[in-house]
Amino acid sequence: MRLKTLLLILLILLLLLIPAFGGKYILYMAIHILILSVFALGFNLLLGYTGLLSFGQAGFFAVGSYACAKILLVMPSLLLGVIAGTLAGGISALILGYLCVRHSRIYFSMLTLSFGMMIYSLAWKWRDVTGGDDGLVGIPRAPLEIPGIFSINMSSMGNYYYFVLIISLIAIFIIYRMVHSPFGLTLKGIRDSENRVAYAGISIRTYRLLSFTIAGLYAGLAGSFLPPLENTVTPPIAHWTHSAEPVMVTLLGGIHTFSGPIVGSILFYIIKDIIVRYTQYWLILFGSIVILLVLVFRGGVVIFFTEKILPMLSRRSPPP
Amino acid sequence: MAKKITRRNFLKSTVVGGVAAGMGFGSYQITYGQAKKPAGPIKIGGQGAISGAHADYGWQMMAGATLAIEEINAKGGILKRKLELKFMDEELKPATAVKNVRYLATEWGADFLFGVDSSGSAMAIGPVLPEVNRLHFFCHAATHRLTEELVAGKGIKQIFRMVVPVYQDALVAWILKDMPEVKRIAGINCDYEYGYVAWNLFKESIKRFRPDVEFVAAAWAPFWTMDFSSHISAVMAEKPDAIFATPWAGEGVMLLRQSLMFGVFDKIHLWWQAMGGSVDLLEGISREIEGDKFKGKLWGTARYIHNYPVSPENKAFVDAFRKRWGKFPNYSAESSYSSIYAIKTGAEKAKSLETDKVATALEGMELKTPAGPRLIRKEDHQAVYTVPAGRAMKSPDYTIPILGDLRVIPAKDYYRHPPFTPVAATK
Repeated sequence: MRLKTLLLILLILLLLLIPAFGGKYILYMAIHILILSVFALGFNLLLGYTGLLSFGQAGFFAVGSYACAKILLVMPSLLLGVIAGTLAGGISALILGYLCVRHSRIYFSMLTLSFGMMIYSLAWKWRDVTGGDDGLVGIPRAPLEIPGIFSINMSSMGNYYYFVLIISLIAIFIIYRMVHSPFGLTLKGIRDSENRVAYAGISIRTYRLLSFTIAGLYAGLAGSFLPPLENTVTPPIAHWTHSAEPVMVTLLGGIHTFSGPIVGSILFYIIKDIIVRYTQYWLILFGSIVILLVLVFRGGVVIFFTEKILPMLSRRSPPP
Repeated sequence: MAKKITRRNFLKSTVVGGVAAGMGFGSYQITYGQAKKPAGPIKIGGQGAISGAHADYGWQMMAGATLAIEEINAKGGILKRKLELKFMDEELKPATAVKNVRYLATEWGADFLFGVDSSGSAMAIGPVLPEVNRLHFFCHAATHRLTEELVAGKGIKQIFRMVVPVYQDALVAWILKDMPEVKRIAGINCDYEYGYVAWNLFKESIKRFRPDVEFVAAAWAPFWTMDFSSHISAVMAEKPDAIFATPWAGEGVMLLRQSLMFGVFDKIHLWWQAMGGSVDLLEGISREIEGDKFKGKLWGTARYIHNYPVSPENKAFVDAFRKRWGKFPNYSAESSYSSIYAIKTGAEKAKSLETDKVATALEGMELKTPAGPRLIRKEDHQAVYTVPAGRAMKSPDYTIPILGDLRVIPAKDYYRHPPFTPVAATK
């Protein structure tokens, strides 16, 4: 068995055993890291693989969250809520993406920023549906059930963690297969030279739209994990500052590596969570550390380790 | 024949085994129950906006609580245990506020929680409190729904609010009762729930005394509005006699300064700045008040004002606060100070720190606080106390402007009372 597979199995085992050894807060943070990882992985399909920088992903995250919350408020079924949230994120991305993917570079970024902020305004103003600035409250953490087949109570944080973990692992596996498939290679081709890909007879717009929709599906999925966890959904999750989170964690972890967004998400939460405990001036420290990390780890933390540290270690090891 | 171990089988076994082990070990996990903690300091966790444009509100909250904790610790603490404070940044984001509550209660081990500036954060925290089972004393968040819906309606007993909610903002109705010259009223309000409810409550109240008044215009300003020129022009086009305004903190300062540029105070009889009695706002318009730019027409209130009541408790608090921090306390400082003393009184009466016992001890209790006697209403855990309305003015007794010419309306007259009927939270 290869070292990489062994490490992966150890990591999955570690994740599975967190409820046994971690407290409630560790579980809560682990769920948040998983949510941001899924969100950022979808985002990186756009940035890292397709070469499109979107500042509106928080809008699709929010659509997923609100859709899941509305479902859970009328019909307590976790599975239905998460499916509805994911689909809502994907459908809204498909509709808005149709208008955005005609453009690239800064024009694309500005369009996504505008549409994202439109969703934010909608969440703020459409009180009858979204609850306005107070949002939707009292959302239940409904059981995971298929009537007549099984039902698992999700009121404990541990059970909900397993639910989020398993769905996230499946989502990560799917996107991994996707980026290593001909579809993923085509996206990379579009990122590197869209003219060459176009000359090969491939529709750039269609592939960009597909990438945008998949990123929307992932944002919707990540968003739908939130209402059962927090019991509430409020407009700030649609704000552009929330869209900046996947951008930041992807840059931190590494744009051109698959695991970059996941590593970035872990670092983001750990750094922030530790700093806010000790100082009220956490923003200054947090910003300084992020700048330092981005400057020192050019290309991301993952690239730094795989291209600088690992070769250095292997050079030092004695010959067999 | 032995079955070959494939990677797929191995992964499958890992996942199933891991979940089973996790669930099994989970039963041996250390729980965070209050009873199991060894006796050390009593931990009090707080949060408020300590970054961004509204950072002074969170700072005041932290300062008020710190002062109370230092005083209590100097006298031996609560139940012979010293108090320890941790204060975190709420960032005015509900998600951050919930994360802070979870961290403070389950990781840091807080026995009690307090603070919170934003109504959205308060409404998000409320439903989480039964899960972490800690009493939370809210010191600002003005939404009436926190106590009316979550406590009186849904029975979340862990919520206590020490500060008067949006009921206070309608107090001008009692002033306009005696101003027959005011017939046309316009509103410049926050374009979110606080603004809608304050405006609707005011309209409801004034109609009881003055059915003849007309509401001629209403302009709505989103959060973070800094240019109010369009709002001012829109309402002044309808020639109002009085203006009811709810933008608060820096936004309130900008609104008032810009209204001076439009010559609004030459054309109206009264301007009601709902939270105009807050220290930060009065400091922001200090020069204009000293120059009598508002011509004595600017009125306001707050959820506590440092020059009322004239009592030994209030004087001691204001003097101690000024000595410790070199500033006057605003309402979030007073409410956090009183929250810490409420914890002390409740725990000492209950002779326990357990959530249920302290909650029961506090219900129906009247506390002596700097803002005057505070009754903790049993039905909704809302503190009932009186804060007057007044005219913004300079006084030789204070280094900053104050609310003077005070009109004291008893709290029972302007508070809403259980059982509650819904208030329209729309424009």
